[in-house]
Amino acid sequence: MHLIPQSSSHFHLLVSIFPSIGLIFVLGFYATAFAADNEAMKRSCLVLFAILGLLAIPTYVSGDRSMAVLSQDPKISQDLMTTHFGWGITSLALLVLTGATALIELWRSRRAERLSNGALHLVLGLAIVSLALMAIAGETGWEINHHELRLDPATQRTPQAWSHVHIILNHFPTVGFVFALVVYIAALVMNNVVMKRAGLVLFVICAILGVPTYVTGAASMWALTGVPGISRAAINAHRDMALWTLFGLAFTGVTAWIELWRFRHLGRFSNRSLYLVLAFAIITLGVMAETGHRGGQINHPEIRVATDALPTDPKAGWSPAIESLINHVIWFVPWQTVHFFGFSLIFGTALVVSLRVLGFWKSMPFSAVHRILPLGVFGVVMNVFSGMLILFADSSRYLNATTFAPKIALITIGAIAVLYFSLSERLWTVKAGEDAPMSAKWVAAVVLLSWAGVIMGGRLISYV
Amino acid sequence: MEYGNTAIVFMVVAVVSCVLGLSFFGVYYLNKIVDQNAPEGGSVRKT
Repeated sequence: MHLIPQSSSHFHLLVSIFPSIGLIFVLGFYATAFAADNEAMKRSCLVLFAILGLLAIPTYVSGDRSMAVLSQDPKISQDLMTTHFGWGITSLALLVLTGATALIELWRSRRAERLSNGALHLVLGLAIVSLALMAIAGETGWEINHHELRLDPATQRTPQAWSHVHIILNHFPTVGFVFALVVYIAALVMNNVVMKRAGLVLFVICAILGVPTYVTGAASMWALTGVPGISRAAINAHRDMALWTLFGLAFTGVTAWIELWRFRHLGRFSNRSLYLVLAFAIITLGVMAETGHRGGQINHPEIRVATDALPTDPKAGWSPAIESLINHVIWFVPWQTVHFFGFSLIFGTALVVSLRVLGFWKSMPFSAVHRILPLGVFGVVMNVFSGMLILFADSSRYLNATTFAPKIALITIGAIAVLYFSLSERLWTVKAGEDAPMSAKWVAAVVLLSWAGVIMGGRLISYV
Repeated sequence: MEYGNTAIVFMVVAVVSCVLGLSFFGVYYLNKIVDQNAPEGGSVRKT
């Protein structure tokens, strides 16, 4: 019950991320609907735009009340709040307009029995401008309460840039997951194949984004160490729950990806697998909500309530115990070895699939090499798990290494790019002796370069 | 606690065997499911 907001500030923190981050995901679905020319998906997106427009109202009301409360706090800058209010109200007004246009088009199309391209593009344009304004409003909003972002970098154990990135990035898997679940449940109810695939893709993307979110979170822990008013025990409580979230994301992401891979070969979904993904997703969302709440408690004293007992022992929980265990050579060396095997599987698979796409071994149809992709995906799972354990062993050193951040960025890019191999219709129809389309060759090059960069970035950590 | 070299080598072989074994079995099992349920002519497109 402690997850239910009991103050305007708490409610504003929760509701305000949906219009902004949610808009990015709905725009992604909308672009997919245009690419697939799927009428049901376009209509679902118009409904989502209308819902986002409606969410602008509680966002404004809670923000206004929150301002009244926070203006009494001498630590909060009035100028920052006024700037945030200005950008916020402009972006919300435009979002309401976007939602209203989407709603009018839905109403009009019921009478005309078809959607108008002009109106659909108008909604797209309005949504893009709203998003740009919301990015500015969000940035000015985060600065209000996160004083640590303005600390002197020379006094920090890791750069505050990590905290800044974590504050932004953590909302993508969380809000994305909510939207994925909404689209996925709608797809199951409507029995729409394109929407089911879109939902599964979004689950996989959220799972991949869980990796940089967890890593930036670990880096933020060091950036916040020693900052007055921030409890290490509260950070550890959040970190423990983040660990469970990472496992939940991995289970949901891998089962969703396997279903996409299987669909490619069989041309149909297995209902049992689809409901298994749904079950994993619902459990993960519950764990994620608790993780988010614990994360919010670290830096937002205004959301704490009397019944919320904050942890006080910085050594309690799973994370400090794993830290201590993995520092024993008998645990570290085996998992480090698993990490090397994982890279061998990932790079071997990426090399075979990418080289076929680039024009090698044309005697094989693409569908034959597509069969080995699960080996690479299992390699990714092995490395996320073993990499997380290795990070536990000496996180401060790894996170301060020059090549660590590019390595994590390339993992995200490389993993998302691999999704293309199981989604592209044109690539799937490449028969023996045929050349892959140019767009597929670009993606194959990105996959190869990203994973080569990941390995080089990892090896250079100890030396650069 | 100090560990002998034999114990470390044993742990490396045990952990790697378990993890790789699970991965290879997973790939074998997924491909088997595809083979059993594939449309007539198999899921690999012919020339």
